[in-house]
Amino acid sequence: MRSAGLWSSAAALFAALLLPWYLVQDGLGVLSFSDGGWLTDADGAPALGLVLAEGRWWLWPAVLAPGLGLAAALLPLSRPARSWLFLLAGGLGLALLAAQGWSIGPRGWLSPWQTAAFGETEWRQYGIGWGGSVVSGALAVVFAAGLAGRGAFRGDAFTATVAVVLTIAIGVFTALPIGQMMAGAFRDAAGGFVPSAAVTRLADDRLWSLGCVAGAPRCGVVWNTLLLALLTAAGTTALGLAFALLVTRGRLRFARSLRWLTVLPIVTPPFILGLGLILIFGRSGLLSQAAESWFGIELGRWIYGLPGLLLAQLFAFTPIAFLVLIGVVEGLSPTLEEASQTLRADEKITFRTITLPLLLPGLANAFLLGFVESIADFGNAVVLGGSFNVLATEIFFAVVGAQADAGRAASLSLILLVLTLVIFFLQRRLTGRKSYVSISGKGDSGLPPPLPKGVRRLCVAVAGTWGALTVGLYLLAFMGGFVEVWGRDYTPTLRHFVKAFSIEGGQFTGLAWGSVLTTLELAAISAPITAALGILAAWLFSRTRFAGKGVLEFATLLSFAVPGTVIGVAYLAAFNLPPLELAGTGAIIVACFVFRNLPVGLRSGMAAMAQIDGSLDEASHTLGGGGMDAFRRVVLPLLRPAIVAGLTYSFVRAMTTVSAVIFLVTAETELATVFIVNRIINGDYGLAISTSLVLIVLMLVVLGLMEMLVGRRRIGRRAAVAAPVASAPLPGAIA
Amino acid sequence: MSRAAEVRFENVTKRYGQAVAVRGVSFTIPAGTLCTLLGPSGCGKTTTLRMIAGLEYPSEGRVLIGGRDVSALPPAERDVSMVFQSYALFPHMNVLENVGYGLTVSRQPKARVREAARAALASVGLSGFEERLPSELSGGQQQRVAVARALVLEPAVLLFDEPLSNLDARLRRQMREEIRDLQQRLGVTVAYVTHDQAEALAISDKVIVMNQAVIAQEGTPRDLYESPSSDFVAGFVGEANRLPATLSARVGDMAQVTFGSASLTLPHRGAAEGAVRLAVRPEAVSLLEPGDPASMLLGRVAKASYLGGLVEYILTTGAGDIFVIDPRTERQRAVGEEVGLFLGQRGVAVLPA
Amino acid sequence: MRPRHILAMTAALATMLTLAALPAAAQGSLNVYCSAQVEWCQAAANAFQKETGIRVNMSQKGSGEVLAQIRAEAQNPRGDIWFGGTGDPHLQAAEDKLTAEYRSPTLDQLHDWARKQAEESKFRTVGIYAGALGFGYNSELLARRNAAAPACWKDLLDPRFRNEIQMANPQSSGTAYVMIATIVQLMGEEPAFEYLKGMHRNVNAYPRSGTGPIKAVARGETGVSISFVHDAVTERLGGFPVQYVVPCEGTGYEIGSMSIIAGSRNERNARRFYDWALTPAAQQLGAEAKSFQTPSNRATPVPAEAPKMDQIRLIDYDFAKYGTSAERRRLIERWDREVNSLPR
Repeated sequence: MRSAGLWSSAAALFAALLLPWYLVQDGLGVLSFSDGGWLTDADGAPALGLVLAEGRWWLWPAVLAPGLGLAAALLPLSRPARSWLFLLAGGLGLALLAAQGWSIGPRGWLSPWQTAAFGETEWRQYGIGWGGSVVSGALAVVFAAGLAGRGAFRGDAFTATVAVVLTIAIGVFTALPIGQMMAGAFRDAAGGFVPSAAVTRLADDRLWSLGCVAGAPRCGVVWNTLLLALLTAAGTTALGLAFALLVTRGRLRFARSLRWLTVLPIVTPPFILGLGLILIFGRSGLLSQAAESWFGIELGRWIYGLPGLLLAQLFAFTPIAFLVLIGVVEGLSPTLEEASQTLRADEKITFRTITLPLLLPGLANAFLLGFVESIADFGNAVVLGGSFNVLATEIFFAVVGAQADAGRAASLSLILLVLTLVIFFLQRRLTGRKSYVSISGKGDSGLPPPLPKGVRRLCVAVAGTWGALTVGLYLLAFMGGFVEVWGRDYTPTLRHFVKAFSIEGGQFTGLAWGSVLTTLELAAISAPITAALGILAAWLFSRTRFAGKGVLEFATLLSFAVPGTVIGVAYLAAFNLPPLELAGTGAIIVACFVFRNLPVGLRSGMAAMAQIDGSLDEASHTLGGGGMDAFRRVVLPLLRPAIVAGLTYSFVRAMTTVSAVIFLVTAETELATVFIVNRIINGDYGLAISTSLVLIVLMLVVLGLMEMLVGRRRIGRRAAVAAPVASAPLPGAIA
Repeated sequence: MSRAAEVRFENVTKRYGQAVAVRGVSFTIPAGTLCTLLGPSGCGKTTTLRMIAGLEYPSEGRVLIGGRDVSALPPAERDVSMVFQSYALFPHMNVLENVGYGLTVSRQPKARVREAARAALASVGLSGFEERLPSELSGGQQQRVAVARALVLEPAVLLFDEPLSNLDARLRRQMREEIRDLQQRLGVTVAYVTHDQAEALAISDKVIVMNQAVIAQEGTPRDLYESPSSDFVAGFVGEANRLPATLSARVGDMAQVTFGSASLTLPHRGAAEGAVRLAVRPEAVSLLEPGDPASMLLGRVAKASYLGGLVEYILTTGAGDIFVIDPRTERQRAVGEEVGLFLGQRGVAVLPA
Repeated sequence: MRPRHILAMTAALATMLTLAALPAAAQGSLNVYCSAQVEWCQAAANAFQKETGIRVNMSQKGSGEVLAQIRAEAQNPRGDIWFGGTGDPHLQAAEDKLTAEYRSPTLDQLHDWARKQAEESKFRTVGIYAGALGFGYNSELLARRNAAAPACWKDLLDPRFRNEIQMANPQSSGTAYVMIATIVQLMGEEPAFEYLKGMHRNVNAYPRSGTGPIKAVARGETGVSISFVHDAVTERLGGFPVQYVVPCEGTGYEIGSMSIIAGSRNERNARRFYDWALTPAAQQLGAEAKSFQTPSNRATPVPAEAPKMDQIRLIDYDFAKYGTSAERRRLIERWDREVNSLPR
């Protein structure tokens, strides 16, 4: 505790004395480091320099708080006294720094009430840079050391640090932007605070009308969303179950390749699936043309609206249901079914009375996931929705449409958020009691019984159709990358690839290079951070008790529950101003990826943690290891499959997200998905598809590498437990 | 090893929200002794042990180790080690890495870690198993690795949380002897949690019996067995018939105790005259022929079980059913047979009100 | 806890917070939000950079998205200039003072409609190109259905186009709003809504995006769309059987605009770009990038493929009246209430 306080205070003081406090616009390179000129430079000075040379007295806490911490660590004090001083230095220092940061901006006071109360001010400042971040971060550690010294978190400084840093990070990067955004629901068009505005917006007939039941042309958006979500959830669950049963118990030879087939939709960039569907089922699609020329039937435009949207979502989300369910089906202890059979139940009765009921919690889980994915889906809805509006598109167009109405967007987001949270709580209750899915380390012997004939036939039929469709869809979609004009001129060509990925004289001259490389870079940066934070959070939540834990867990969920567009706009609004001036940088995209995907890493981490005996940590503690040792030497190695799953998932998500980042990208940080979307908007499908193909191949390579990494080393008896998690490298982890 | 330290609890209470796991407990474990915390599950004994380890913090009161107040110190700063019920061997480390863990995390040089870990393994008789993974060991071997891992740090206090509960009966007996030997050899202070009273009696210098979050009684195994202070202790430590009786004629420490037709002079142990309860150990009752003049009470055999070295009877008497152990197996009585009962002074105790 | 861990952790935290420290703008740079076709944006950025040495960061987004972004960034603007995109959002931005006032010296060389745009917005925006509204149709599809191409607004009421027409949803698309405003100005408000109700029977969908209908025409998903005619030209050059018609009764048009963002950090460079973008040399780039709107500088040569604005009967579009937020909201809400809710 003392050493934690000592070193963090020292780091904070170092940063306050030497590192440039503000974000240096043109990079650190412009500062004159050689002659010490930067120490008093108005833009590049550290906190002390700003206080002394620029008279920015409000930065005193940045110097004094670390000083106090250092003194507390070095003076011979009793443990309680030192802890109090750490708490004071860290807590008060951070609070004062935050207060000044959120008060003084580049144009004086940041909030109108301050201007009203204190009048205009001459004080100006920009967002924090290295100095400001290091001081704040280190002060958080000082504060945590103080907490640990008071006996919180078992007196362990590492645990306390994790808790404090996580709380601050989630507060700043999830609660703050979303809270700010949601507050918009209670403002009128002029920005005044009018609570009744929310009531008016929420009571809107366009949301809740049930007219379509009575024959009117349309129903409220909320009902549309719910209807689609229910259908999608039911469909994906059924399809996922059929696949899971076939792969595990169908005794099929091609079971392994089926698994890879299900991964394909997950690594597909948005919009590509929708376009593929139009190409097959659209009015001028292959199927429609065939029907017309062979049977003279005109199939028309049925693909636009509910049917097409449902179809696209079934394609997109069945893999997720599959990955959830295959874990459950594999985890089913065959001895239970064998027991049933020895009790004179035949295959069919066993399946109905034992297997299915045992799968029920898993089915419910898959259903809820499908539901959530469906209501948050933007890409398919915008391509195939036609006149069938859902909340996700409605929100997007409330933000960017001709009637830019942020308040309406906020109200709609609120509805979506509530819907999602209800689902999450249902899911938590269900999975919290899933005790009868018996994955034990013992490795039950016994063979899973084959499927009853009728069930197997059904599964083969359903999964076969689905599989054939998927293969056809992808073949067609990919073909678009190799022909002149998709849907029109099928002369084979490689020109799209040349245009996208040409290299001339060692220079990447292809149009797609920039965005693909940026995407790779940002995804590669964000994936490890997401996985690390997720695992740390999982460890913290499952191994310690502290006040406010429930609130923190809830807050992490928020960013997952809100649709991407909303997150994007919320991030832009929250991080455009000092003290956290991240807009326009890669950092804001990384932060968006990290905190949006964190809940998934957290869930998979928690699931894995639940299977690791808590006494292992305790053994480490009693053997003299601190929280860090327990985490690094004991928990981390055992969580490897979960970590890999988290890494893979966040990497893939980062590579395929579009709605959340469309507002955050700039010319320098354009992402491949945004590039693809813009190509599609411009009708340049060849380029879009060739870029997508390259992305897909990249992701498959990464997935393959991860799979190899997990499969290579198995450790002790826990490996048997961990294996099911590992074999579902993707959102199955959510389970 | 002379680093053994005394463990003291002063009015320690532990609450989890509304529930009280340990209520106002005070006791002392003298340095270099083996003290057992005995009680039924949920009595607070494991919580008490975990508070010594630093895995839980008291809500009230103080915990002292070697005279130092450690109430708010994390486990790593307490100079204790613990052997867990599940052994908690790290499944991804081999035996040597497991045993050396404590030294590794306290940043000892690698060579020293290996050497000390080998020595500790040798002391539990597991030389040659260094490279195995825990999953490749038998239960008894895992147990020894867990002990070696705890010992390698040469802690002032060694804690055992039901260490033998996962072993079969024969191995359990052997391991408890080894633990006792080890404790004697090293002179370390040991706190040992168990719910098995035979285990507690066999190895302890001192036993603390807990029930419903408080200490029911503490003392040497002999104290507990021969002078249980309550109905609960009498029933939990060893077998005991608990019979209603009448106490009269208190003279000094002694009093007349009557139950059924029998009458004994026993220490009254503070009980007032009138109705009392009597604890009668099964081996304190001798079976006689019905007509024997020493017979105090008549009974009839309701059940008889031959167990090799002894015979167990359940007898119906005027004072209620009595469970008796008779070491004289050569004369086994048949069900329905009438017998006389004689009660010696040893093994019969008045339970204080 | 050991020092190096603390340092490592602090560093990690710091990295998280300050990836931001990567420089956003160097000296002499310009951040352009571009709502024109991406090729055009790219060409303009490259040409300006080559000519002036100012580093151009261009990001291409739809005009609605740019408006949303400028609004979100209002307190601390990131962009300097907003190039291209239909005029309405530019006018809205001007109305909300999100864009800055600037009178370019080149203003005199512009067509009247472009100058008028500037005057009406109090010089917060200016026209850089114009494009007429018209019909796009899939010639193969209509031939297959033996339907003659539409020529006038009234043709769209004809039963031969039953379920064949798409127009964008005015709630989200500026293009569709231009259409409604045009009809209102051509016919008067009440007859206009009667017309829209009649056409509603023939409409198969109101997609969200303004270019959605013409793309549907190109792919053969619908027969006819109401679109800007230059977008139809773009599709035709993409190899699709798309033709366009300008309605015989006369039609409205959009004025693609350009605005300097208020509070821009590189305002000098922004003005330089503004002046440059109004020159014939810069405006030629549009046609080279296959965007066939009519440029606003009178001296800019008009490409052969482009719809000839002088041969189109344009109405005298009242941007002052129909560009205000209030009028726009009123008309759109009326459309939603009276037209969009009808059965087909």
